[in-house]
Amino acid sequence: MSFLYPLFLAGITAVGLPIILHMIRRHTRKRVTFSSLMFLRTTLPRFKNRSRLENLPLLALRCASLILLAFGFSRPFFWRPAPESQAHLGRRIVLLIDTSASMRRAGMWTQAISEARSVLADVSQADRVCVMSFSQSPQTLIGFEEWTELDPSQRASVVSEHISKLSPGWASTDLGRALVAAAEAIEDDEVNDGQESMAVRQVVLIGDMQQGSSFEALSTYEWPEGLELVVKLIRCQDPTNASLQLVTNPPDSIGGRLAGPDGNDLTGIRITNSPDATREFFSLNWAESLTSGGADVYVPAGHSIVVRIPTPKDRLAGGKLILTGDDHDFDNALYLAPHLQQHVNILYIGSDDANDSGGMLYYVRRAFGATRAFNPRVISHPAGESLADTAIATAHLIIVAADGIQQAPLISLRQYLESGGTVLLVMKSADAATTVAGLAGIETIESEEADVDRYAMLGQIELKHPLLACFREPRFGDFTQIHFWKYRRLNIANLPGASVLAWFDSGDPEGGGRNDPAWFESRVGKGTLLVLTSGWHPSDSQLALSSKFVPLLYSILEYGGVLSEQPLQYFVGDHVSVPHSVRLESANFKVRKPDDSLISLDAGQQSFTQTDLPGIYAIESSAGAARPAPSGVEGSEFAINLPVKESQTAVMQIEDLERLGVSLENLKTEDRGQKTAIRPLSSVLRPLSSVLRPPSSVGRTGLEYEQKVWRWVFIALLAVSLIEIWLAGKKGGPQRTQSSQR
Amino acid sequence: MAARTGASNLVSTSSKAEGLIDPVSLMRLRSMELRAKVIVEGFCKGIHRSPYHGFSVEFTEYRQYTSGDDPRYIDWRVYARSDRFYIKKFEDETNLRCHLLIDHSRSMGYGSAGYSKSQYGGTLAATLAYFLFTQGDAVGLATFDDRIRQYLPPRNRPGYLRRLMLALEACPEGTATDLGPPLQQIAGMLTKRGLIVLISDLLTSIDRLERDLGYLCAGGHDVVVFNVLDMAELNFDFSSPALFQDIETGRNMYVDPSEAQTPYKRMLDKHLAKTKSVCQNLGIDYHLFATDRPFDLALFDFLQHRMRRRKRVRYIPTGRDSRRTV
Repeated sequence: MSFLYPLFLAGITAVGLPIILHMIRRHTRKRVTFSSLMFLRTTLPRFKNRSRLENLPLLALRCASLILLAFGFSRPFFWRPAPESQAHLGRRIVLLIDTSASMRRAGMWTQAISEARSVLADVSQADRVCVMSFSQSPQTLIGFEEWTELDPSQRASVVSEHISKLSPGWASTDLGRALVAAAEAIEDDEVNDGQESMAVRQVVLIGDMQQGSSFEALSTYEWPEGLELVVKLIRCQDPTNASLQLVTNPPDSIGGRLAGPDGNDLTGIRITNSPDATREFFSLNWAESLTSGGADVYVPAGHSIVVRIPTPKDRLAGGKLILTGDDHDFDNALYLAPHLQQHVNILYIGSDDANDSGGMLYYVRRAFGATRAFNPRVISHPAGESLADTAIATAHLIIVAADGIQQAPLISLRQYLESGGTVLLVMKSADAATTVAGLAGIETIESEEADVDRYAMLGQIELKHPLLACFREPRFGDFTQIHFWKYRRLNIANLPGASVLAWFDSGDPEGGGRNDPAWFESRVGKGTLLVLTSGWHPSDSQLALSSKFVPLLYSILEYGGVLSEQPLQYFVGDHVSVPHSVRLESANFKVRKPDDSLISLDAGQQSFTQTDLPGIYAIESSAGAARPAPSGVEGSEFAINLPVKESQTAVMQIEDLERLGVSLENLKTEDRGQKTAIRPLSSVLRPLSSVLRPPSSVGRTGLEYEQKVWRWVFIALLAVSLIEIWLAGKKGGPQRTQSSQR
Repeated sequence: MAARTGASNLVSTSSKAEGLIDPVSLMRLRSMELRAKVIVEGFCKGIHRSPYHGFSVEFTEYRQYTSGDDPRYIDWRVYARSDRFYIKKFEDETNLRCHLLIDHSRSMGYGSAGYSKSQYGGTLAATLAYFLFTQGDAVGLATFDDRIRQYLPPRNRPGYLRRLMLALEACPEGTATDLGPPLQQIAGMLTKRGLIVLISDLLTSIDRLERDLGYLCAGGHDVVVFNVLDMAELNFDFSSPALFQDIETGRNMYVDPSEAQTPYKRMLDKHLAKTKSVCQNLGIDYHLFATDRPFDLALFDFLQHRMRRRKRVRYIPTGRDSRRTV
């Protein structure tokens, strides 16, 4: 019989305690109640001879309880030698190497490479090995199949060569994803290999096990039974690491910058110091001006503070902040760039006066106001004049509020629609039907001025349509307050691909009459033609005066893909949305990365994904010359910073992985988190037991886990305890006398 | 040494008390009032032959009215009979107001003779109360442990003795003996001078005892202390080692009587001597009672104390005849 934690057997020595107590107890059984002990002094008990021990059965039961307790905690198991058939089988190992940004700390990568090579040196020919690197996502360097195909004598050198090419990147650490990928690789290999299962399956993890690691992926994954995780912890000698983070922008600031009392802009920066830091004084400066304009900051270990640093006038467009004073500089730079404010051109084709509250343009101008992320510009163009193609091409939304459009502009609008644009056509009269027909690509469409009895209302609204999704909630979906005095009846039966969004309540229910469409859309090429059969100006309806008007216009912009939610900060690995104006001609643009490499954008590319370096990225034209402001985009630069969690470099509690079901093996005590958590006794004693175990003790844990002898031991303990309680009760409690002794 | 001798003499008193009522037999009577009656009547039969015949603790005086006296005190019944104005003087002052203070701490519940110190002390108090009540004196009662548990003011009304007896039959429920707060409180309550009889085992530290008894003496009261102790407490004649548990604190102590008896008795004698010394210094009449001592002797001691007091002259500031005996 062997023991998993044999040190617990030392607890058997505690049986001396009940023996001593039984020797003393004879003197203390009789109790005498006395009025006051103020004149008494205690007398030292005299022990009886060993041969005169009383209540031997009780003593035996109590000793047995203690022995069983120590026995159970030592986790006994019966040694079962491995079958000979498995003796020749090798191990199946996945070597995971952390290449996240935190591995850039001084000396850590060298340690990691050295550790990886030592692991590979222990690999035998029968072993199957897969080498993976990971940061935000895992990457396979050498798969199991490749390993097998390699000449056994060359395996070590080939893999070592692959590893030597590795270098830590700038991405964050997704440990959970990497562990899941490693476990799946082993399971897939077992299936693909088709051979019998190998005795040992291991994931060898070489990394710094930083607190900023993410392992949420493990919570949705059941760790395979028998798969052990071996952690080769890479430690850093210098623990102090402070990091920078741009403070989330208050509503009245622009780009994280506040106005100071003297009128200078202040940039809010959060500085966080690591919990195990030994230094607490840091200096924050703008790059290239390290001697002036900075701030000295005191940040206690494990705390963070926000400092407001004055922004030089020449750096309002962006800049780089440098933190000095800590041991590691991989996360000491914070790049700032002005937020990409999106310019949206809205082309209004109509003859309305912008200051006439009876017209429609008056309301359009007031509906689109500038915000921090969005700067709409309403361009009015008289209907009768010729329309330049560039005006149409640069427009994000075209509102047509004219009765008749000339042929040439009509063709341009049609092309705009086919290329994916959005046109909102408002029928101010029945004559606008020709424009509808021209844009929809049909010859004619029947239209007439509707005969409205006092007013019409929207009777049926397709709130499930994405365009009207913002009104889906009952408190927003009440359109009964909007009266329509006039509208145009349009026969859309011949209109291909038309779908009605809202109907007027004009039909005669008794006569089975059909309601007239109020709003409908028609797909033209890649674009969308939206038609309102009644205007929003006061002579037609109350729409412009209602609370539904502005949301409706913005919803049209979103429906056309013009507006999109932009995050305020980007980090390494994030996908940066390509500005809409650039997206339309994205093939003509390139992105210059901080290392001056140029990445071409594909046609219609929605987002830029190669954000693998921290720094300032610039969108440039394909011609090569830097264009600081591509058309429609005020700022052509965006900043990519190191993920904040990557700066949390203190060593995590490795027991957290055990809580998620990961089976840890061969973990040194000093490799576990030591400072914050109270470690279970078993985890403390485990390395000691591992010292005592024989060298070929692979699977001791598994054997003990299978046999679970400790359960039977504790059942026996329970039985012995019950018998002891019964026997002690039978013997009776201590005698209590007052004067009978006398 | 004197204290030790006193304690030793006390132990042997039961053997000398021939012709007196055995406390063990007396305690078999369940009624406290009956016990008191037996003791007092038996005692009174004896005093016909005693040299202390005619002793009384109170009297009433009449004085002829003179100009300047308060007419409220004129006794109109005397005027009706004699057609003279007489003042019923000192009727209230001359009545003895006796307070019986009974310690009901848990240590008083200890007893090795079949009855506890509390029962013995209660009977003692009942005896005194009965005796004083039959003389027309006002008797009050206060039971206490670390605070006053019940208080009956001094009265001499029909049926009041019965109330006193019922109150004395209550079992001790207190915990620690702390004379300070209750005695201080009682001293504050007593506005008129009187006789205070304290019945307690006085198992408390001497320093605190001196301070606590001082509260009573400060009020000018005539104080008598009956220190009641059990025979087991006085002799500590236990036979075998045992775990001794303090009845008040619950503290356990392993004690071998063969080793502990001598130092115990030495410390007890020292304590009793100091207690007696403290009482003498304060002018308190101190009596140590073992629980096997006949109650007749207690009554005798009490009356002997009164006799000694009788010879003293007390100055009473009010009234014409300011010098009188009590």
